[in-house]
Amino acid sequence: MTQTEHLLTRLPTEMGGLDGGPIQRVEHEYAPWEKRCHALANVLDIHKIISTEEKRRGVEALGSELVEKLTYYQRWIVAFVNILFEKELLTPEELARKMDEVAARHEPSGG
Amino acid sequence: MSSDAHAHAPIPDAGDAMPSYYEIMETAVRELLVEKNAIGAGEIRQMLEVMDTRTPALGSQIVARAWVDPAFRARLLANGRATLEELGIDFFENTQLTVLENTDKVHNIVVCTLCSCYPREILGLPPDWYKLKPYRARTVKEPRAVLAEFGTLIPDDVEIRVSDSTSMVRFLVLPQRPQNTENWSEEQLASLVTRDAMIGVVRAAIPEKTEKSR
Repeated sequence: MTQTEHLLTRLPTEMGGLDGGPIQRVEHEYAPWEKRCHALANVLDIHKIISTEEKRRGVEALGSELVEKLTYYQRWIVAFVNILFEKELLTPEELARKMDEVAARHEPSGG
Repeated sequence: MSSDAHAHAPIPDAGDAMPSYYEIMETAVRELLVEKNAIGAGEIRQMLEVMDTRTPALGSQIVARAWVDPAFRARLLANGRATLEELGIDFFENTQLTVLENTDKVHNIVVCTLCSCYPREILGLPPDWYKLKPYRARTVKEPRAVLAEFGTLIPDDVEIRVSDSTSMVRFLVLPQRPQNTENWSEEQLASLVTRDAMIGVVRAAIPEKTEKSR
């Protein structure tokens, strides 16, 4: 097996049959923004803007490094953004401007 | 209060602290989609309200009803989604629901090896361990060992069936009704059905202290 072959034969999200350590029965309370992100996913699916299948492929398309380093809902929102760019429903410029605007609302001086 | 009454109210956040980069991204995407009329202004809030009603308690009621009502149980096993839609439980996604019945001969356990597919319409959001590598990786390879880690020992003569969820098909385990519950009400029975029993990692059981007090 070459050093890269395993990257081709198994998607970064594909876990079935791999070795894994003991199961830690961890749980956490979902943060408000995580719930909103999930609600957004459901609404996008209802509107046939991004299906569950497209979302999964969008997460896979982030590549193994991002899949590993981002948290669950961070992966979702980044995948949504990439898909919305592809579908030309959003542009990177619009998103950057809106993110600046949202951040400014939380600046102590900006109010 | 109707959903429309507060459709335009700001959606509450954790606090005034500067949100993370990804939280800002979520807010920005949501607001842009509303501005472009791709989604309605109140839809996310309404969806959050619906999601808050979808907890394992809903699944527990369904299981208890299947235990006491053979006709309902038969319909549920034949077509999970249509049977639940008859009860007014709508589905958010284009998915089917297959209900897997545990018997003396078969124990079912559900996993999603690719991502985190889960019957969210009736159990709510999945626990973190369901989404993490050890459970997803090992359940299809060594289910008995995984079950043992949950304290569930399955005799060797009982077949274990592992169902791997997809974006199109979700699974709900119908656990076996515990013994000595013949005279229990549907509501009492529902209290025995945990989320983990409906994933299949544990059995439905009478808690020890309840058993002693009866």
